[in-house]
Parts: sequence; C-alpha cells; structure tokens
Amino acid sequence: MMPGQEESANEYEVRLGKLSALTSKPTHYCSGCEHGILTKLIANAIDELEIREKSVVIDSVGCSVFAHEYINVDAIQAPHGRAPAVMAGIKRVRPDLVVFAVQGDGDAVAIGLQELIYAASRNEPITIFLVNNAIYGMTGGQMAPTTPEGMVTTTTPEGRDTAYTGTVIDASKMLAGMDGPSYVKRVFLPVAPLRTRDLYSAAGPLEGARSVVNAFKVQLAGGFSFVEFVSTCSINWKMSVLDSKKYAAEVLSKIYPPGLYKDKLGIERK
Amino acid sequence: MTRRDFVKGNEALALGALKSGLNAYFAYPITPSSEIPETLAQQFKSPEYPDFKVFLQSSSELEAINMVMGAAATGAKAMTATSGPGFSLKQEGLSYAASMEIPFLVADINRGGPGLGNLGPEQSDYFQATKGGGHGGYRNIVLAPNSVQEMATFPGLGFSLAFKYRNPAIILADAFLGQLKEDTAFPAITKEKFDTPWATTGARGETRHVLVSLHLDFDDQSRHVEHLLKKYEEMAREEQRAELYLTDDADVVMVAFGIVSRLCKQAVNTLRAKGVRAGMLRPITLSPFPSRFVSELASKGVKRFVVVELNTGQMVTDVRLALEDGGRTESLNRWGGILPSSGEIVAQVEMASA
Amino acid sequence: MTTVTDGLPKALVVVDAERCKGCSLCVVTCPQKSMSLAPSFNRNGFHPAVFHYHGERGDCTACGICYWVCPDYAVAEVRSLKRK
Repeated sequence: MMPGQEESANEYEVRLGKLSALTSKPTHYCSGCEHGILTKLIANAIDELEIREKSVVIDSVGCSVFAHEYINVDAIQAPHGRAPAVMAGIKRVRPDLVVFAVQGDGDAVAIGLQELIYAASRNEPITIFLVNNAIYGMTGGQMAPTTPEGMVTTTTPEGRDTAYTGTVIDASKMLAGMDGPSYVKRVFLPVAPLRTRDLYSAAGPLEGARSVVNAFKVQLAGGFSFVEFVSTCSINWKMSVLDSKKYAAEVLSKIYPPGLYKDKLGIERK
Repeated sequence: MTRRDFVKGNEALALGALKSGLNAYFAYPITPSSEIPETLAQQFKSPEYPDFKVFLQSSSELEAINMVMGAAATGAKAMTATSGPGFSLKQEGLSYAASMEIPFLVADINRGGPGLGNLGPEQSDYFQATKGGGHGGYRNIVLAPNSVQEMATFPGLGFSLAFKYRNPAIILADAFLGQLKEDTAFPAITKEKFDTPWATTGARGETRHVLVSLHLDFDDQSRHVEHLLKKYEEMAREEQRAELYLTDDADVVMVAFGIVSRLCKQAVNTLRAKGVRAGMLRPITLSPFPSRFVSELASKGVKRFVVVELNTGQMVTDVRLALEDGGRTESLNRWGGILPSSGEIVAQVEMASA
Repeated sequence: MTTVTDGLPKALVVVDAERCKGCSLCVVTCPQKSMSLAPSFNRNGFHPAVFHYHGERGDCTACGICYWVCPDYAVAEVRSLKRK
C-alpha cells in the first residue's frame, strides 16, 4: 500500500477496483499466466451483467480446477473434458441459470472433444472459455493436441513430430465450421511486444474483456458461445514470462489466428 | 394402486420413473435397454407428466451420465439407463457423483459380458455395481427387482434412497426382466418433493453452493472419505432389504436375486413337496447387502446356503462375508444368457444333501 | 515513492504487494512507464510491482492497463482525482 492512502480516500474515486464476483483468495496460477487475467475478465463480466446470483461455474480438470476458489459464484466440478455435458444437464433443467466453464486445451480438445462438439451442435446455451497454451499445464508439460510441430514437451523430448503424433487441432475453426454454435471467437490474450517501442500492447486483455461480456450476452440470448484464448505457459515452455509472450506472438498467433469466426446473433455489432 | 397394465419390464421401469416424478432423462440406446428411452420419448410432452421436463438423447453413455450429474446437481430428479458396455462408461461419472454426493438413478439391464458379450441375461455386473466399478472408495445404492411390478415401483424407491443419502442409486436388472411382460399396477404419480439445500441453483449473497470432489489437503480428503464411510455404514444399518420365503424352519436356503429368484421360488416349492425343508433369501438391496438376514438364518441353524446366480460367482462372496466361518456356501452358476431350470436347481440341492 | 510538485497526484494505482508474483506485465505495458519491480522481496519471494505517479515517460493517467493485465489482482485499484 502506498503512503498517504488513508488521507487521499476522499479525494479520489475508484475507477477500477474490487469485483464482487472475485473472491479474495490468492491464485495458484504461475507468474504471468493468462488464466489469472481471464479469471478477472470473467468476474468483471459477471459484475457488469449483474448475473452473479444466477451463475454457476464448472471447474474443469487442469489449471482451471480451482476456478471456484476465485470466482465467487456457485460451482460444480466436472470430470476431465465433461464440462459441456455437465453444463448441458444444468441448463436443460434450469434454463434461467448462466453456466460457464474455463477449459484447457487438453480438457476441451483431447479428452472432451466429443462433449464440446455435441454441445456446439445443439447450440446449447452455455459458455466455454478455452485457454489454449499448446501444452498440458497442470500435469507438468506434456504434449497437447494443440502443441505445434517441433515443440519440446515432456512426452516429445525431441520436439513434436506431427507426422507420428498427429497434426494440431484448431478448435475454433472446427466449431465455426458447424451450423450449431452461435458465437465462436479466438482472442490473442497475452500482452504482445510492439516493434516500434520497448512497450508491450495490452490489446489482448482489453479485447478479452469485451469478448467475455459478449459471450455471456450470447448465452443470455439463447446461444452457444465459445471463446478460445491463445495463451502462454512459461513454466512448461521453459521460458521467462516475457519470452513466452514473444513466442506466443511470433509462433502461436500464426497457427491459431485471432478473429471472430462466427457471430450468428451479431452480438459484436450491437 | 389403480390400473393394471400388461407391459415389458423396460416399459414398466420407464413409466415407474415417470410416476415417481422424473424431471430429466438423458438417453443413449443399447440393447436390451433401449425400450426405456423409447417409452420415455413417447411420453415426453404428455400432459399426464408435467414434471417430465427434459428428454435428450446424448452422443454416448459418457455424455449422458455427465448430463445426469449436471441436472441432478440442481436438485432435479434425473436418470439414465444402459447395459454393461455403457455401464462401464458411466463409472467415471458415478465416482465423481458419489464424492460430490449428487443423487440420481442409473438402470443397468445386465447382458452377457465381458466386452460386447451378447444380449442374453446375466448378473455379471454385480461386482461392478455393488463394489464401486469406478475408482476410489465409494458405494452405490443398488436395488434388484425380480418382476415387472418391481421394475415399476423401484424407481420411486431408488429416488427416495438416493435423495435421502445424497448418493447415486443403481437399479440392476437383466435382459430377461427387461423384455418380460407381466401384469403391472402402477402407483399414482407422486407428489413427494425432496429438500435440496445443497443444490447449485445460484449464490445468495455470500452463501454459495459448491460441489467438488478434489480435496488436495490430506486431512481434508481423510475427513471426506470418513464422512462417506459413515454414510455407507448408516445405509448398511438402516436400509438392508430382502425377501424371505419359507425360511423359518429351513435346513437349506437358496440365495438369489432378480429373475433367478423366481426359479428358486419354484425350486423351493418342488423341494417342499418332496419333504425337503428348503427356503429362499432374496436380496432386494444388493448394496447395502442384506448381511443381517444371512447371519440371522445361520444363527437359527441353517447349514447350507446355495447361491444361484447368472455369473461365475459374485454374490456368493458377499454371502460368505456375512457368514461367520464362510464355509457353508455352495454355488450354482450359469452364464452367457443361459438360465438354469428350476429342476436343475432342485437337483443341485438334492445331490449335495445326499 | 510518490513525489508531488503541486497538489495531489491526478491518479493513483494501489498495489497489493503480497499478491504480486513479479510477472512484470504491468511494467512492460504501462505507456508512462509508471510501474517497476521493487528490489525487495514480498513474503512469497517475488519482487513486487511498485507504482510511481511520475513515470519515466509521463504522469499516470489512470488508463487502467495495469489493472487489466495483472493476472493476480495485485494491481487492486486504479483511482483518479475527483474534479472539483
């Protein structure tokens, strides 16, 4: 806390501050992890839309398993990959509730791919935030379906050989190719180095904040919303925090280009 | 009890679930259980069942059990049905739900196994249903109907026990019962509603409802396992259910559940007519296993327990556990969908006593 | 340390040093270079972020970028001076 805080309280107004949808528990996320940013963006959207008392977060398996510790809403833990099915069950009997999950690329694109595709095909009015950092984070850095060619992981110590292990799966493009889903967007969430100045752009988190709000609006309007956040995993990529942002900007954003892939309800034009 | 209908076991199970206030059914077809979702699909939107709000076919038994889990987490009465290969897929969901204490109903219409097996009746999912099937130390509530009538009334009993103990409940039937047609009297539609203060229906101020199965702290996990254990012990004390047939003066008691118990009843009658003091113990709850009934019979002097089951010997292990010395059981087993005749059962009992 | 030449700073960023994990995202994204990492450690062993009203490139404008990029809610509040 800065000296002089107490006297200054009356002179200052708080422009950005406490979110009622965020608990005060310090997070387990690694230093610089986009999971932390996303958690805040979600809490911000819940506060803005005033849906806290009708929201249910579904913990997935991976670094998002503790979502309920940080997001101050009702919660249920789903088995690995099953969040879209659990959310569908809740939503079908209680369409008045707002249900959402944060899933990792292993949870959503490997073990849970079928549940994800069918929820999308039914345009189930649920919201899925995919944190795609191209690796299995919580379990210590194994290959994911999104791991690019050549990336060293603990199960591809020579670098991934996509001819042997499979080519990457692009969840946003796959879902956007279906008739069902209402909103499919990919956001580059990390701060990205700007070439002209020694400054990093915060466009990712700012765009992310708007996308999270839009995703909830799509659910409230009755549609399936999916936002993929290209992210980093500095610890498992074995890079410094800032180097991981550079890698994401130089390599991942080209494999997983950001964009609005589907917006059936035109929510971004409103 | 009002109307009497001549229906298949599977149809009776479906209609019985509707009478007990079913809210949501998540379906995946598998022989010999498919008439259950088919019957429910026909009744969906019927004004007779205004509480039946959701009928949805999912893409796999795995997706279905997770949908059931989600719906049940809000306090709704949710159900699904399957057979062995699908029941295997549901074990993950059952483990999670048992830990989070979410109540719902799963019916397993046991067919030949393992693997794809065949479509005949077996009781080879007994271990899977009663000992867990999924990972970790938990127990399902397992009910074993032996008639189409019980297929109609056990969903109501299943939901009551499930919500009372906040635990998944299994109805373990078999291919024979599923396809059998008998006179059935359906109960009136229940008005019973369950109190579910734990349900995830939205935070109220600072009060949240959180259902999790992860307890990383070793002491927390220990306390949680102990809490579940105490619950299972209470279930074992309060909910053992069995039918006793002519056991008061019996020398030899057959132990059988499901369709086999009908054959054993016939065998008891045949033996009695020949002067053999035979009786039958029919477990109705397979979990909690009616051990008290077994030990009471043993203490009254029953020397022989003949366990008849459609598997290679599963329930017999529970009978042995319930007996002090465990050495007085005999087994008559059939598998592959083949049932013993009551004559074969009689012969087995007579041969061993000679 | 805030040093003020005339009146109060127009903007204030409140950092909860014990929540900070020293990721430096706020440091590298602040257009005024108003954030730096302290040479000292917090209880978790990280160098926490520190706010300087007079940044290297200019005074803080309460743009809020540091708040949005912080993964740990360590940048807890962005305040601006009320107009009289």
